[in-house]
Amino acid sequence: MNRLILLLATTFATVLAVGLWIPFKAMVAQELLELAWAESQARQQETRPWPWADTWPVARLMVPETGQSLIVLDGAHGESLAFGPGQVVGNDGRAGPVVIAGHRDTHFRGLQHLETGSRVKLQDRDGDWRSFRVDRIRVVDSRHEQINTAQLPRDSLLLVTCYPFDGLENNGPLRYVVEATAESLVTANKADNALAREAVAGT
Amino acid sequence: MLLTNLGPYSSTAPNGGRQIAGSMTGSKISPRLRRWLEGISLWLAVLLFLFVHPVYAEASETGREGAGEFHFVDDAGQRLGSATLLNTDYNVTVSGLIADTRLRQSFRNTSQQWREGVFVFPLPENANVYGMTMTAGERVIVGEIHEKQEAKRQYAKAKEEGRKVARVDQQRPNLFTTRMANIPPGETITVELNYQQAVRYQSGEFELRLPTTLTPRYMPGQALDNEPAQWSGGWATPTSAVPDADQISPFTVRPDDVGPDSHRATIALEINAGLPVSRVSSPSHRVTSTWNGNTVEVAPESRAVLMDRDLIVRWAPARGMEPAAAVFQEQWQGEDYLLALVVPGVNGKQRLPRELVFVIDTSGSMAGESIRQARQALLRGLDTLDADDRFNVIQFNSQTHSLFMEAVPASGNNLARARRYVKGLNADGGTEMASALDAALEMTGDGGEESRARVRQVVFITDGAVGNESALFGKIRDGLGSSRLFTVGIGSAPNMHFMREAARYGRGTYTAISDLSDVARPLDELLGKMEAPVLTDIAVSWPGQAAATEAFPDRIGDLFRGEPMVQVVRGLPAEGALDVSGRLPDGSQWQQSLNLEQAANGKGLHRHWAKQKIDSLMDSGLTGKIDDDARQHVIRLGLEHQLMTKYTSFLAQDKTPSRPTQEALETDSVPTLLPAGSQGTMLRYPQTATMSPLLIAIGLIGLMFSAAITLLKRRVYP
Repeated sequence: MNRLILLLATTFATVLAVGLWIPFKAMVAQELLELAWAESQARQQETRPWPWADTWPVARLMVPETGQSLIVLDGAHGESLAFGPGQVVGNDGRAGPVVIAGHRDTHFRGLQHLETGSRVKLQDRDGDWRSFRVDRIRVVDSRHEQINTAQLPRDSLLLVTCYPFDGLENNGPLRYVVEATAESLVTANKADNALAREAVAGT
Repeated sequence: MLLTNLGPYSSTAPNGGRQIAGSMTGSKISPRLRRWLEGISLWLAVLLFLFVHPVYAEASETGREGAGEFHFVDDAGQRLGSATLLNTDYNVTVSGLIADTRLRQSFRNTSQQWREGVFVFPLPENANVYGMTMTAGERVIVGEIHEKQEAKRQYAKAKEEGRKVARVDQQRPNLFTTRMANIPPGETITVELNYQQAVRYQSGEFELRLPTTLTPRYMPGQALDNEPAQWSGGWATPTSAVPDADQISPFTVRPDDVGPDSHRATIALEINAGLPVSRVSSPSHRVTSTWNGNTVEVAPESRAVLMDRDLIVRWAPARGMEPAAAVFQEQWQGEDYLLALVVPGVNGKQRLPRELVFVIDTSGSMAGESIRQARQALLRGLDTLDADDRFNVIQFNSQTHSLFMEAVPASGNNLARARRYVKGLNADGGTEMASALDAALEMTGDGGEESRARVRQVVFITDGAVGNESALFGKIRDGLGSSRLFTVGIGSAPNMHFMREAARYGRGTYTAISDLSDVARPLDELLGKMEAPVLTDIAVSWPGQAAATEAFPDRIGDLFRGEPMVQVVRGLPAEGALDVSGRLPDGSQWQQSLNLEQAANGKGLHRHWAKQKIDSLMDSGLTGKIDDDARQHVIRLGLEHQLMTKYTSFLAQDKTPSRPTQEALETDSVPTLLPAGSQGTMLRYPQTATMSPLLIAIGLIGLMFSAAITLLKRRVYP
């Protein structure tokens, strides 16, 4: 009987540990990604954060509202979303819409604090920052709705995560979509200073 | 936020686990340890409560939205919420030049609730719907034609009262919507449509096209800001250029998403051409043909085909039996109708130096197989250029970009540059066609005298997936000048209405490519035709009157090689002779006389005539709004000939209610399939949640359970 209880307890402790491992991994990975992002900015090429990774950093996303600064990875497959938000649709240069998806339990948990009018910033590999203003926040049913990339305005940014934020279901149909439009291009230097200040304020 | 939420778990929970494990290894349990354990369990319980609390929140929130602004199908519904399965059956009878189709759409409700099914579907670009029947079990209800508003009103009333009701509306000349309310749980209701269309005859071959799906269309213009969260039947929201965008944008899904029982079509053709048919082929499907005298029965090899591409069937008369002329007659309600076909059968051998502008659509809807076909078509077009021709290449998606500033001579250097450019084209972005048309039509070379001597031709290669067709037609008509516009339809389900009408307003002709292996033939034929129109200034004089005012199309455009002249007239008996005259490319007159007394009996000519007349009335809508007179005229024609038009709809309703009014009715938008080979611009929302909360919850519950057992055990057996 004792052994049985012991077995039970260890099993559930393991389950709990695995459950906690996911957000932990997400948090630690961001630190590692910072290095890779700095390197890819310096070298101006795709830099894998670790040799066996099948994704690489493509942008940095700043949410001044929550003081979050996230490294965005390429692609929104399970592998990339585990470590950071993934860029589903993106542009290496300037033109075209950007769609970024992230896990609601980890990186994009903070999206629930965004409101219409909030600012979101995106840095590309050249170090240029673009500022976006949130126009609209919607909850969509992914069974009924899809993202029509041809229909998106060229200067728009979509942040996608699961909804509801406190849900337990990991394959629920609802998505929380934050739609933002580019405001203006901030020059690299000015933005860097602003970022430094905001980063300090954020932490 | 992330950290504060995680904090308690990471610090407390593993501790708790260790303590419990520790307590169990000890053989005796002291009262102090027991208190410890109780304390920890209490903490775990509090944690669990905090964690489970959001689960309730989720349930109540979805519930609220479901009742409010969103229409969600219950979780038990299928992946895309489509509980309505759709299957279609096409039965086509071709007699002479007219094909008559009986199309059955059956909607099967697989859910436990009453359903309303909404299905947006394509028909051939010249389809003329003249009959509708609804079948529910044993009951057969014949549909009647009504003015659209009246049909809408009656539909809403019947839907409210729980009576079975079906309505079919025309959204575009080749795009229709079937609505069917009060489908009982587990039952099937069938809507049967009858339509006829003229078969296309050119270069000694007949062609019939049955579209089964549509390429998702691009909706230009600014979004109209009316209740963005309002759920509607389509993925698009109305825009300033396409106010009915939500009506013509059914959700597009891949075949795997609908399951093996839905979106299948059975097709059977009976070709009764009135002359020996030598060869039947289909570039889109593998078909079997059975000859039975002069009648040929054609069907796809597999019994049920996936509704993800147009079915194209071509048949050719036996060698030497190609018709040069044909007359059909019909009497309907005391009126005579005549349909005449004359093939000039002349070949313009004259070749003028020309200025050729290729316009290629590189919008997102072309991604996949389509852009490869388009590139192939364009490369082939470049091959036909002679040294004295001038050319240019324009691509458009959200923006228009032309390779050269103006048309350049087709020198080896320029051609090589164009080929490299074309090979590097990729499909992405929107379909802003208007600016591309401007660029193609307005760009007149500064060559002065030299360019005026050239024939200016625009080849437009596109899938026609736009929602604002009529605005574009207006643009073509107004900006055409001395150019001619030719369209090449691309993909498994191109918008053939756009191809045909754009070419008509552009004084050119059109073709379609359905397969990469089928690029050469249609394109060579088109390029051959483009060398020169063989017959211009065509005049048709029917006997008994100098100018046949009731003959349609009232103004016959220029004819290209292999194309016939077809006209339908009302109020003339089959007597006397018909004179057709025109001017050949070298300036000489061409004339042919056709004896009307040899007319064969035709079927449905009066509908064909009415349809042609309606089309000519609707043409006036390009310049602005259709005036009330024309509108009334169209409605009158629609009601008189029992035809579906933009202003008249078919409605079939049961007299007795079948759904108890207290039971809810769910609306289901039946999706269409993504055309074969198309990548589509529609992205699924990615999976954006982890197992983490679930695992943490399970772990916590389990640990608490273990702790509880331990405690219980110690209490019962101290």
